[in-house]
Amino acid sequence: MNLRREIIDGPGLMVAVLAAALLAVFASPVAAQETLVFTAIPDQDETKLRERFDRVAEYLEAELDRDVRYVPVKSYSAAVSAFRNNQVQLAWFGGLSGVRAREAVPGSRALAQGEEDARFRTYFIAHHSTGLEPADELPAGIEGLTFTFGSKGSTSGRLMPEFHIRQRFDAPPNEVFRRVGFSGNHTRTIALVESGTYQVGALNYKVWEAQKEAGKIDTDAVKVIYRTPPYADYQWTVRGDVDERFGDGFTERVQQALLDMDDPELLASFPRKGFIPADNDDYETIRETARQLDLIGR
Amino acid sequence: MTVLSLAGARASYGGERALGPIDLSVAAGERVALVGRSGAGKSTLLKLLHDPARRDIAIMPQELGLVDSLSVFHNVYMGRLNRHTVWYNLANLVRPMKTEQAAVRAVLEPLGMAERIRSRAGELSGGQRQRVAVGRCLYQDADILLADEPVSALDGPRANGVMQALTAAYGTAVLALHDIELALRYSDRVVGLNDGHIVLDEPSDRLTEGDLAPLYAEPMEPGRATG
Amino acid sequence: MIRAPAVRTSLGFVAVALFFLPFADLEISAVEPWTELGRLLLGLLTPDPTVLDSVAMALVRTVAFAFVGVALGAAGGFVLALGFRHWPVRTGCAFVRAIHELFWALIFLQCFGLHPLTGVLAIAIPYAGVFAKVYSEILDEADPQPERTLPAGTGVLARFLFARVPDAWPHIASYTAYRLECGLRSSAVLGFVGMPTLGFHLESAFSQGLYSEVGMLLLTFYVLVATLRLWARPRLLPFYLLAAPFLLGSGLPIVWGNVSRFFTQDIVPAPLQDGEGWAAFAMWLGDILASEALPGVIATVILTQIALVVTGALALAAFPLVSRHFTGRISRTVGHGILVVARTTPEYLLAYILLQLWGPSMLPAVIALAIHNAGIIGHLIGRRSNEIQLRSDAPAGVERYGYEILPRVYGPFLALLFYRWEIIMRETAILGILGITTLGFYVDSAMEAIRFDVAFILILVTAVLNIGVDALARWLRRRLQLRTTPGAQS
Repeated sequence: MNLRREIIDGPGLMVAVLAAALLAVFASPVAAQETLVFTAIPDQDETKLRERFDRVAEYLEAELDRDVRYVPVKSYSAAVSAFRNNQVQLAWFGGLSGVRAREAVPGSRALAQGEEDARFRTYFIAHHSTGLEPADELPAGIEGLTFTFGSKGSTSGRLMPEFHIRQRFDAPPNEVFRRVGFSGNHTRTIALVESGTYQVGALNYKVWEAQKEAGKIDTDAVKVIYRTPPYADYQWTVRGDVDERFGDGFTERVQQALLDMDDPELLASFPRKGFIPADNDDYETIRETARQLDLIGR
Repeated sequence: MTVLSLAGARASYGGERALGPIDLSVAAGERVALVGRSGAGKSTLLKLLHDPARRDIAIMPQELGLVDSLSVFHNVYMGRLNRHTVWYNLANLVRPMKTEQAAVRAVLEPLGMAERIRSRAGELSGGQRQRVAVGRCLYQDADILLADEPVSALDGPRANGVMQALTAAYGTAVLALHDIELALRYSDRVVGLNDGHIVLDEPSDRLTEGDLAPLYAEPMEPGRATG
Repeated sequence: MIRAPAVRTSLGFVAVALFFLPFADLEISAVEPWTELGRLLLGLLTPDPTVLDSVAMALVRTVAFAFVGVALGAAGGFVLALGFRHWPVRTGCAFVRAIHELFWALIFLQCFGLHPLTGVLAIAIPYAGVFAKVYSEILDEADPQPERTLPAGTGVLARFLFARVPDAWPHIASYTAYRLECGLRSSAVLGFVGMPTLGFHLESAFSQGLYSEVGMLLLTFYVLVATLRLWARPRLLPFYLLAAPFLLGSGLPIVWGNVSRFFTQDIVPAPLQDGEGWAAFAMWLGDILASEALPGVIATVILTQIALVVTGALALAAFPLVSRHFTGRISRTVGHGILVVARTTPEYLLAYILLQLWGPSMLPAVIALAIHNAGIIGHLIGRRSNEIQLRSDAPAGVERYGYEILPRVYGPFLALLFYRWEIIMRETAILGILGITTLGFYVDSAMEAIRFDVAFILILVTAVLNIGVDALARWLRRRLQLRTTPGAQS
């Protein structure tokens, strides 16, 4: 870098640096406070999430008659943190992340779940080279193979599969499998098992079925080998202090708006048939399981 | 009145004796020329005479001590950093003030450097750099000058001009000079050094160039390393 | 030659890496990677220009975060450099720079959330630590002579600004400019944790298998970095610096209560917070150290040592690509292109691609780290080799490499490699997020489980480990008398 030759050169630049530094600290703009901001766990393709939730934002905006904004995040924990930090007031959580969020924010409530979420499942899938076949219990043959979860904070991609693995083999996953990984999200779990990078994986059954229907899975390369018993999963959770901030009865209005969602296209994007009421107790089993596996509680 | 004095002073580099023991005192109003071959100990003696805590001394080392990336103005202005508040100095670093520019220009004028006031010291020739360092000493306007070969890179007429300017500004000075003619012309007292010892100390008007010639001959004690 | 200390030390490192090899999991386990890889290569070769519309803003943000972060870091580092002789400052700087930008981002995400301040501080803080160290080295090397000629009674600040800074300024400026390039990389990488920079889109595109989009994003990033010197002209810098803070985007408002909560609750160890006393805390700590920190440290050290040796080998093989003693003008341009790609592609993406190819093990991490770091060292050594003047009858080819060039660049090469040692170790953190069980993996897991107290302890362990390696590297550099010129560091 050539310096300018004038005598004021160096010091002048330093003053500019300092000025910019001060500006950077004090000039950060402040967003309007009255907007309802919500987020969602990044459990699958981001483009899809964005399309889906931007439409949800539009829908809620109309129903609630106030500005609503969707903010995408990069991880399950970022979604929980944003909720806990009151930077978002509403969120579409998974079972585990919802439990974590509600533990972190006393007074927050589960409002609604998809019809399917009351009876959600995890699918274990395997690469064709393993020769594994579908069974009614986790096949013993998966022992010693390579295995991938989804995100570390996922219910269907981490908590429940780990629970069933421990039940079946009476050992933690890293002892059951030769290698254990975390793909990051359900879509990636499919891709990694399909390519044989991992031999076995576990994921959200809804994502599997949607992808399969869309013809995006090479069913010769990968297939479902085990379906877990049902458990409660995804839900909308709202902070306990929204009434204070957005007016009395706001929680109920949000809940009603979510339950009233009947645009088939919008529902299909989740994909859920519709939303039904939920409350914190619906997730007691998930909470217990997470405690057993030492995934919550401090 | 004695303003500089050394008693039994010595210096060594890397365990090798370079100078001393030396006794020397300089009175106010006395201009001393240090002469001797290179390596005789002139620079070392000047360093010993310099007490960095004294505000009344200006120094001009052989390496000149210029900041190459600053302008001629700044290098000269630095002679008076101790006379202003830090904010004033800072302001002048960023943008030289008119009054200061005029004052520095006045110093540079007789040295023939006024038109280079905005040049960076690093892009000047050796002789020009030497004159900038002289400018700094003149601008500092202290009581005593310690200068090491202040005109070594200047030609005859220019060297005389600069020496005149220096001696006009500083009545009390110790100047290391390898040029005998200049030494005799611009000093009242000549101190000759050889191999780290004072071998001659006489008033200038009692000496001729011939008296000093032996100092520049082959080493008087052959075999001894010259510091 | 075997007896030369530099060679003996190198062989020592190779021996350590070989010793670790059996403990490292380097298995190739992917069965049928070719379909996915084929799509990936095809995508990278057919970049999709339509993405540009939507990522133009991300590009602006990437530059803005880099400028503000590096400027703040430089200003802070400069101030810290003045006090660098005091050990608390030195230790503090060593500590903050031992923690990877991504971890800083994860920490600040808890305090400030998705606010620009998170990204800015995540760059500025570790960079300030690095700047403080390098600036103080540069200032120490400034010509001491002018200071001695100053009149007695000159104030400390005036003394410093007139006699020391101007001489050091060109070096400070060139080092800062170099760090700006690093800042662009850091800024992009912060997108992986949610900052609105290029990494945000890269990660989404990658995880969705939109490889043409990935190709375009990478291409954009290469161009941005490769042309840095063209658009970041000194004259334009003040303009960029003043504009950048306004181009960071707004994010979400900061809730200041979260900041104090982070320090008073989140990172306070759970047993202490629940009032279970110090005995319980000791148990808790012992458990973390034994079950997470220890395996994490072992994996981190194994990965680092193997990656370091592979980096060295790769760099020695790569630098002739850009050395005028081995290549012509055209092939050198190609060589430069290869090295730009190697050092600009985030390790995370390299590791991710290789993970597809070879399956999950340390191997993708080793190679990703080696490619990235060899790209940097190869570039710097190549540049240095170009300064060497060979006699006109010097041998050519392999003899020239072995007899003329290698012996002369080996010292600087080792110095740079030791310098990157700690950096490689820090970078293993990112790969932990990909699932390679380094300390970064455990930190990420703790963050993911909303256990910031655990994450905090693990980050401390990471920092101590990095500081240790840094000290060891410095000791080795001194012992082997390897001088580094600040401008060529990092």
